[in-house]
Amino acid sequence: MVSDSIPTAPIPSAANTKNLGKKKRTNRSAKLKQCKIDARREQWLSQGAVKNKGYKDGGDDNHAPPMHARKDGKRSLEELEMRPTGEENDGSIHQDSDLESPSYSPTSVNSSLLGGNNSGTHFTASSSSSSSAGCCSGNITGLDDWEAVADALAADEKHQNLCSETLPEHKTVVQMVSSCEMEYGSNLGTRESKPESALLISPASGNSRAWRPDDAFRPQSLPNLSKQLSLPNPDRHCGGGITWARTAPPYSCPICCEDLDLTDSSFIPCPCGFRLCLFCHKRIIEDDGRCPGCRKPYKCESIETEARMLGGSLTLRLARCCSMIERS
Amino acid sequence: MATVNGQTETAQGNINSAKQPLPPAKSVDSQSVLRRLQSELMALMMSGESGISAFPEEDNIFHWKGTITGSKDTVFEGTEYKLSLSFPNDYPFKPPKVKFETTCFHPNVDLHGNICLDILQDKWSSAYDVRTILLSIQSLLGEPNNSSPLNPQAAQLWSNQEEYRKMVEKLYKPSSA
Repeated sequence: MVSDSIPTAPIPSAANTKNLGKKKRTNRSAKLKQCKIDARREQWLSQGAVKNKGYKDGGDDNHAPPMHARKDGKRSLEELEMRPTGEENDGSIHQDSDLESPSYSPTSVNSSLLGGNNSGTHFTASSSSSSSAGCCSGNITGLDDWEAVADALAADEKHQNLCSETLPEHKTVVQMVSSCEMEYGSNLGTRESKPESALLISPASGNSRAWRPDDAFRPQSLPNLSKQLSLPNPDRHCGGGITWARTAPPYSCPICCEDLDLTDSSFIPCPCGFRLCLFCHKRIIEDDGRCPGCRKPYKCESIETEARMLGGSLTLRLARCCSMIERS
Repeated sequence: MATVNGQTETAQGNINSAKQPLPPAKSVDSQSVLRRLQSELMALMMSGESGISAFPEEDNIFHWKGTITGSKDTVFEGTEYKLSLSFPNDYPFKPPKVKFETTCFHPNVDLHGNICLDILQDKWSSAYDVRTILLSIQSLLGEPNNSSPLNPQAAQLWSNQEEYRKMVEKLYKPSSA
């Protein structure tokens, strides 16, 4: 049972890491950090989901995790830090989590199951305390803090084995969460005032509130990572992602600035790779028919050929019609 | 009552659009132009490009004022030029009309401030935006196309850069606005 339950957990996380890999290549700004944090959060949730069979039964989970959390909160914090960093480095979370979670839960299968849940709930607990801490400290200034958090995390990665100072680690988590929330709040003012209702209304908007305790037991409202990455994220648009949008595959049409839907984003009308939405493409085809990216005429477009048929060779068509009639 | 009123209004709107299909289409167009221009403004402000800037006029986002500073190591170094950009309703499928407001002694700029630049005419692409236009004009200042000048005197003088610099300084009237 142990061998069955534990290896299944990292599978979604590995998939997430692949998705993350794409983002990493394209996006080197602060958004990347947000993605990482999203992925980590997502991984915790998925681990909790897989490992804990009584996932939907909030009653079972509630009594066990706090015990763990209080007993060895220090350990679970370490565990909390180490798992995501392991994943971030090379996707070799398997070793870390497989080795560690049994060691932290020495008794039985049951405790290993709880271990997955334990970390999850503790994570949310730390976040709830963190938001208040962030409010108290009040030195959260958006992107600068992101940088600081990233540096702190990088430093932690290097000294993974030490992990002697739990307090600084906790602080990094605190800053991470609170600055994250600050950014959400500044970009989407309504979210901050009613975060939980906002969650219920728009689960897939990238504003995943995995930090709140009630969310951990509400799987419907939890967005999955693939959704977050594929959908245009309002935060990414607002938060200075404009330079980024030029280099990465665009989330919005460069011509009309409307968001690209699934059809649009898989539509590459020109070999030069310039993407645009179908509406703008149609408009250009009706106009001069040249790709905005390279100025070469679009080729092999059904609309274009139809227009030619109608415009240029009406007589030819008529002749064919006549011949058809003659034959019949 | 409010909902009832809303329904009747939308119904009337539908009737109107059925009778006159053209105006709604235009309004949709201008909506998308608006969106594009707003997005460009955002991008321009976020990019923090040095040497160029642009901002819409007071209450009309279809008319922008831009500024270009002369690039370093050109005869235009240290000068700043104001431009006006006027966007058509079918922007970005058609180029904006760009003119110098500040007098600019340049082979490809006439006395009225009209600019002869291919990307503002036949080489326009809807992928260009205000930023690329202003950067193009900025580089045009240092690298004029003397083969088809709008200002022949400037084109003739271009070979003598020292004299040209004096002429630029003499004619340069920075706008107070």
